[in-house]
Order: sequence, then structure tokens, then C-alpha cells
Amino acid sequence: MDTSKYAELFLTESRDNLVATNEALLRLERDPHDGEAIDAAFRAVHTIKGMAGVMGYTAVADLAHDMEALLAGARDEQRGLRNDDPPLLLEATDALEAAIEASVAGRGGDIDVSALCGRLRGWATATHAVPSTVGEFLLPQGDGLAVTVTLGRDAPLRGARAMLVLERARTLGEVTAVVPDEDALAAERFESTFAFRLRSNATPELIGDTLREAGFVESVRVAREGLTSAADAAAAAERADSAWAAGTLKAPLQRYVRIDLRRLDGLMNLMGELVIARGRLEQAVVTQPDAALHDVVGVVSRLIGDMQTGILSSRMVPVWQVFDRFPRVVRDAARSLGKELDFTIEGREIELDRALLDQIGDPLVHLLRNAIDHGIEEPHQRESAGKARTGKLILSAARDRSSVVIRVTDDGKGIDRTRMLARGQAEGIIDPARAELSDEDLLKIIAMPGFSTAERVTTLSGRGVGVDAVVSRVRSIGGSLELKTTLGKGTSITIRLPVTLAIIQALLARVGDETYALPLTHVRETLQLTPSVVRRVRGNDVLVLREEVLPLLSLRRIVELPVRDQEGSQVVVLEVADRRAGLVVDQLRGQQEIVVKPIDGARGAASCFSGATILGDGVPALILEATSLL
Amino acid sequence: MSHSVLICDDAIFMRTMLGDILQQAGFDVVGEAETGSQAVEKYRELRPDLVTMDIVMPDMGGIDAVREITKLDPMAKVLMCSAMGQQALVVEAIQAGAKDFVVKPFQPSRVLEAVQRVLG
Repeated sequence: MDTSKYAELFLTESRDNLVATNEALLRLERDPHDGEAIDAAFRAVHTIKGMAGVMGYTAVADLAHDMEALLAGARDEQRGLRNDDPPLLLEATDALEAAIEASVAGRGGDIDVSALCGRLRGWATATHAVPSTVGEFLLPQGDGLAVTVTLGRDAPLRGARAMLVLERARTLGEVTAVVPDEDALAAERFESTFAFRLRSNATPELIGDTLREAGFVESVRVAREGLTSAADAAAAAERADSAWAAGTLKAPLQRYVRIDLRRLDGLMNLMGELVIARGRLEQAVVTQPDAALHDVVGVVSRLIGDMQTGILSSRMVPVWQVFDRFPRVVRDAARSLGKELDFTIEGREIELDRALLDQIGDPLVHLLRNAIDHGIEEPHQRESAGKARTGKLILSAARDRSSVVIRVTDDGKGIDRTRMLARGQAEGIIDPARAELSDEDLLKIIAMPGFSTAERVTTLSGRGVGVDAVVSRVRSIGGSLELKTTLGKGTSITIRLPVTLAIIQALLARVGDETYALPLTHVRETLQLTPSVVRRVRGNDVLVLREEVLPLLSLRRIVELPVRDQEGSQVVVLEVADRRAGLVVDQLRGQQEIVVKPIDGARGAASCFSGATILGDGVPALILEATSLL
Repeated sequence: MSHSVLICDDAIFMRTMLGDILQQAGFDVVGEAETGSQAVEKYRELRPDLVTMDIVMPDMGGIDAVREITKLDPMAKVLMCSAMGQQALVVEAIQAGAKDFVVKPFQPSRVLEAVQRVLG
């Protein structure tokens, strides 16, 4: 059977299940008796095992099998895990992830999980006396449900007991293909597990309950079908959640279609072209007198708008799809650094464009690690500072107008401004005359490339690891970053992102013959440039706006056009986080929805452009990146 | 109303012991039988909710008795009492219609669990 075309599906599905496993194990680390978490971990590992079996990824299947056995033992005996189980299982989850990636990449043969499997098995038998046959795959061939029954170790006359189980099963339907066969069972030539096919419409729950009534039944598993044909295998990945239903386990019922992101991107691109064509069409009919033509163009326009909204929303995914892997990351970082902390995630249902969400994952990991490494103090330091021994780390997401705001907050030691000031002045970023640093200045300093490698600083109070990378990534996707810190109280870093990258509202500005697009997310207001609002301060023009003094930039200067008399020009007030500035343009051409086309290799002066677009009249325009101007 | 029980065993010791266990648990022991054929007669007469049945008895063995009783009343609930090493006989009894079994030496809790399972 050719399984290669299912590999990608397997990978996606397995990753989801790995996240679920990690999440459940972290819960178990706190409470080893959390039955729901045991079920969740069992279900996820079991699903991976089932899929891996179909794919022929033996290393994955073996490892998942032994993890499952450990969990099944805990579940079926209705006792929790031992305290030492979750760490071992977490280690196994990491190995499982590696095995999955390697198997999909065709390097499954290189993976050796036998040592870990041995440890899991040794652990299971040594600590819980779980029978070695628990979880063994006895999949009898034939029609109907595959039922696997394990009898308790304390069951006397297991052969006779097995007969009673079969009698019970026969009250539900026809029993066939008993493994080992009935004579062997009756003579007790089996360890404790046996299996059979049952042709019945009964639910797995009912089957479980009925068979348990036979007494001394430790576990009952009901598989809907054996994965014996190619058709079954194809369906298996999709039905993986429900492929096995064990006892009381219930998989949440959700109806989803998985779509390759590239297809959505393709649709989005077409949509972009369509939006541009719509703009041209609208302009083309302006001069036409035909009312019917105007009508139909209006209808087409509206439909295109609706379609665009629909396609955009299909790209939106809840942030938990990325956030849910963080508890594990945080736990590992905290452990290795000897920090104690409570990690909470807020707003996990907030939706973001898939492409943006994928981009933001790594920067967030950086920020979380930094917070743990440089923010949260060691337990004894916290105690002597009069704080709770356990630090608090919060990752939150919230919707704010057309942006999504993601914030990492810690209640750690904050950043020492005095030291940062010295550092900033030494680097020549900060005016030597300055006596105090604003939060923005601080961000500038810690976001200097290479800041993190400056050991001297990171050992002070810096949280510099990779902040430059974070800042540039966030800016590259049209976002902005903001930092607030209070010495001794903690630090919060806020990332503001557009909800989607693909289509944005922009203000069109003209200088000379050229048109530039300014994303509306960063436009606060526009005004006429009159002498009354401009002052000259130390040789620089500034904008005086309601008693606020803002730097005044000229778009002509930025794009290297000859500067002309400013009379009659317009000012666009740009705002990124707390920073504001006025930008002088010749003329404003109004607001338009634009389709962002990324431009590659933007360098030098061009770095203030985040992309390009094609306007309704077919003319290209560069998109100005406000964050880089301020 | 408490469930009625018929105890079948050729040993008076076992009948007494089983009777005590069941009575203390609130069951109504309505009759006793020493042989398989007696058990069938008493079942016809008393229609108890439950029968405990020794496997090896004189006259008619427990398995034959189960078969007869089940013929009489397909819904009859018979609990086999067996010694270790009688697995083949227990299996036969189950195929003849016995609903469950307990293994000697009896532990009261095990006996009562089995009775509960059989009575549902």
C-alpha cells in the first residue's frame, strides 16, 4: 500500500496530538491523579500509535505503544500515575516527536527507541505490576468490532472467566475470530488478554459495561474496524480520533476539513488580483452612462467583498494552535534554570491569520525564555525581595480594533535603567546628555543586534537574548513592539499585529508623480500643513499638535525627491505604540484596500518599505512601513 | 424484598457456610439440596432467584443439574461453586447455562460479588 500521500496528514495530525500529550502530561505533573488528563494523554498517544501502525513507522508505533501501556495501566486500575511518571513520559514525548519527524522524512530506520521503550516497560511493570500483555495488539481478522479484553491478575480460573466474557459478548451480537481460540482460552492457555470480533451495533461504552459484568475484567477496548485495507487506511488518518474508543473515553466531536495552506494562499492571491481588477472595473465604468452596467458592477463589487471576507476568515485560526505548545517550553526552561513559576495563557481563542501566527511562534518563544531567564528571579531571591516564591508569567492575546495584541508579562525583577543608560550611551544610541531612559529607549538598546551576546550586559539585568531577531520579525509582518518595565516589579512586552497580512486598509499619499501606501493601522490622523503648526527647534522642523510636539518627517526626503515648498502639503500623523511623528506628503489620494505583495531583498533606503501593491488604476505603489520611520 | 436462594452442595459444611454468608448479607435461603436431582426438584418447587451449585455431587452432577434447570427455566440464575483445578468443568457448566462461578475456599466478599453480578 502506498502510504506516502498520507505522510503529511500524518505529520499534521501527529503534531496536534503531541501538543495534546504535552498539555495533558503537564497537568499530570501537577496532579498525577487527574483522570481526565490521563485519558487525554492516552487518547493522543493511542491515536499516534494507530496512525503510525498504518504508516508502517515502527519506531513511532513501538514507543507510543509503551507510553500508552503505562497510561493504560494507570487508567484501568483507576489509580493515578506515580510522581515520577510524567517526567519519563515527557521525555518519551520528545523522543516520539523526533521519531515522527524522522519517520516522515524517511529516516525512520535510523531511530532507535528500544532503550526508552525498555525503560517505559520496566517502569510500568516494576512500579505498577501492569501485565506485560496490556495494550498488546491482538487484532483478530474478520468483520465487526475488534474487542480486546484484559482480565485482572487476581482472577481465578481465567479460562472459565474468559468464557463468561464471551457469553456476555454473545448477548450483544455474534462473536467470531476469537484469539487465542476458544479451546485455548478455556484451557487457560493465555496470559490475561484475549480478543475477538463482535458483530454488533452496540456502542463501545455499552460493550465495555456489558463485558465488565462478567467480573474480573481489567480493561475492554473496542476498535471500530481493523485497518486491513487501503481504503481503511486512507480513512484512518481522518477518523484517527475515533478509531479506537476505549471504555469511557470520548473524543470531542468536531467537524473540520483540513486544507493545505498553500491552497488558501493560492486562493488569497487570486482574490487579491480580483480586488485589484474590481478597482479598475469601478474606475472604468465611472464615465459610462449605462445605469444597468453600474448596477451589475455594484453587485459584482459587493460579492467580491463578501468573498474576500470569507476567504480571509478561512485563514484565521485561534492562537492556541501555537500557544498550546508553550506550557511545555516554559516548563522545560524553568526547570533548567531552576526557576519556579506559574504560567497562564489568556485569550487563546483569539484568531489570527495563519501565516502571521506561524511567524509569531518563534519570537514568542524567545520572549518567554527571556522572561524566565532574565526576568523571573530565583526562588530565594524572590523571597528575600518580599515576593512570592513562585513567579508569574502571563501570555495573553486580545483583539484591539484591527489589530491583535499579544503580551508577555512577568513579575520578575524588571530592567535596570541606570545600567542600560550607561550601555546605551556607550553604544552611541542614546544622547550622552540624557539622565533617564524611556521604555522606548530601553527597547532600542536591547534590540540592538548582538546585544544578547554581550555577556556583560545579559548578566546584569538584560533580557537581550534574540530581542533584535524578535523585533525584526515582528516588524517584517507589519507589527510593532512595545516594552514596559518597572525595576523590581516586572516587565511586559506587547506585540501588536495586523489581523491579516494579505489585505490591508491603506491611505494613499502622493509625492511628485509617485503614490505610496500607508497602512491605516499606523495612521492616527491627517491635517493640512499650515505655518501655524510647524516650529523650528534646534534646526529641525517639528509639528505642534494640541500642545504635543512631534518630529516632522518629509516623504520627499525619504524617497529622495527634491524638497519643495511645503505650502499646501498634507501631514499624516503616524503612530506606532507610544511613538508618533508627522509625515509631510504632497497630496492625499484617499483610502483604499490594498493587496500586499511582499518585496524581497529590501535593503538600504528601501528598508522603510514593507511591500508593494497594485492600485485600482493598475499603477504599482510601495507600502511605507511606519514602524521603521519612527 | 430479599432475594431467595437455593443452595446445592453434598457437604453440610459447605451448605452451612454458604448459607451463613448469604443470610448475613440479607438473602433468604429458601432451600438446600444434596444432589443434582434434588436441586432440580427443589428448583421446580421453589423457583428461587438464585441457585448456588456445587460441581461434583452424587446422583446427578452439578453440570447436568444446570442443564436441567436451564431447560426448566431459561432465565435461571445459577452460580457454580468450584475448586481450583476444575476449570474444564466450570467451562462446561458455563456452556450449560451457569451465569458465574466462585472458587473454593470461599471468601465471603468474592461470593457476594459474584452473587451481585449474577443477579445484576
